[in-house]
Amino acid sequence: MTSALTSITRRARVRIDRFSRAARCVVVMAVLGACPTVACAQWIGYRTPGIPRTANGAPDLKAPAPRTSDGKPDFSGMWFANVPAKDYCKEKDCIQEERMAREQINIGIKLEGGLPYTDWSKEEMKKRREHGGRDDPHTYCKPPNFPRAWTLPQYIKIVQTPTLLVLLHEFNAAYREIYMDGRPLPDNPNPTWNGYSIAHWEGDTLVIETNGIRDDMWLDIQGSPVTESARVTERLRRINFGVLQVEIAVNDPKAYTRPWSVTIEMAVQVDTPMLEEICLDDEQDVKLYK
Amino acid sequence: MHLTSNGRWSRLLAVAGVGLLLTPAAPAHHSQSEFDLRAKVEVEGTVTKLEWKSPHGRLYVDVKDEKGQTVNWNFELPSPTTLMRRGWKRDALKPGDYVKVAGAPARNYPAIAIATSIKDANGNALFTGTTQIYEPEPEPKASE
Repeated sequence: MTSALTSITRRARVRIDRFSRAARCVVVMAVLGACPTVACAQWIGYRTPGIPRTANGAPDLKAPAPRTSDGKPDFSGMWFANVPAKDYCKEKDCIQEERMAREQINIGIKLEGGLPYTDWSKEEMKKRREHGGRDDPHTYCKPPNFPRAWTLPQYIKIVQTPTLLVLLHEFNAAYREIYMDGRPLPDNPNPTWNGYSIAHWEGDTLVIETNGIRDDMWLDIQGSPVTESARVTERLRRINFGVLQVEIAVNDPKAYTRPWSVTIEMAVQVDTPMLEEICLDDEQDVKLYK
Repeated sequence: MHLTSNGRWSRLLAVAGVGLLLTPAAPAHHSQSEFDLRAKVEVEGTVTKLEWKSPHGRLYVDVKDEKGQTVNWNFELPSPTTLMRRGWKRDALKPGDYVKVAGAPARNYPAIAIATSIKDANGNALFTGTTQIYEPEPEPKASE
């Protein structure tokens, strides 16, 4: 009798325990179903904290450029070429354009008379066009070299400290460091995809100087060269909260008959994160060329 | 509305020749000369896979050709990064879904194209954001 009672009690206790667990599950599921804001926030649209907003909650793109604690313009934020997307419609068929800067085809597209190529450059570009642009390093998933990187259709995140500017590029999870600690440019640097960059302030403009650029890089789809002999100067100005102006000046006697500069505008991107885009994941275009 | 497993198949509609899509517009981030951007193919069929990888998403579609044989088409899409920012989710199209797809065919390989338009079974258009016609720049001239 005692053992039977014990057994019944034990079974009852198990049922109660199970019921409790089930009840707890129901409660938890109810809570989740009610969707607390934090748990259910769409990660891709997560609101950026601490930015100026208008009365209706939209980012205030015309607000003044933010400043750091030492009074400098703060370039921190996520940036993308300032190109509006358009729809092209033929009768009822509309094609939505992918937002991309036309400087991707020709970085000097807005330059009167075009880029001032040397004879060497013209020959080099003929070779680069031979296979329809197949040999573009970008097609082979090589790094998003600056200054070309400003024109690519991926986001760039700038992280600013008093002595270092870090640029994170979505394409291949790339990074670029720009030293603001007073060091000089190196003599005879090891040529790299980004080169070696230092910067100083001229008023509210950050002037970035770069050398040590590789000889085999393209500045755009048509193959505009930049070589080891280049000195690239970028001037960054944050016009307001929404716009970063990037003036790119290239002095490369091997590739161009004279220095030239172009200006590209970047638009701030908010309420969304950086997204990973690793090119070698599933690259299939190279094999399609002949 | 989805097709049943015995659902309708459609013939491949190939529209070759100069089907000029639109005026030159924004470029791709690399040359897309591996595709004939002035030609056009249009297919209807059933999704077999939506590949959600970089640098390009890919939509695979089973299409019946003129001989009644099934050909699996490979349509290149923008990167998932771009697709997500223009409303796609990675389960936007599932195996078995009916689609109507237009694209610019690969020059050197059959049954491969870059998508220029995708419509689902309800006729809703999905963003393809494709490159329009990329016109190669003229030969560079040295400035005076």
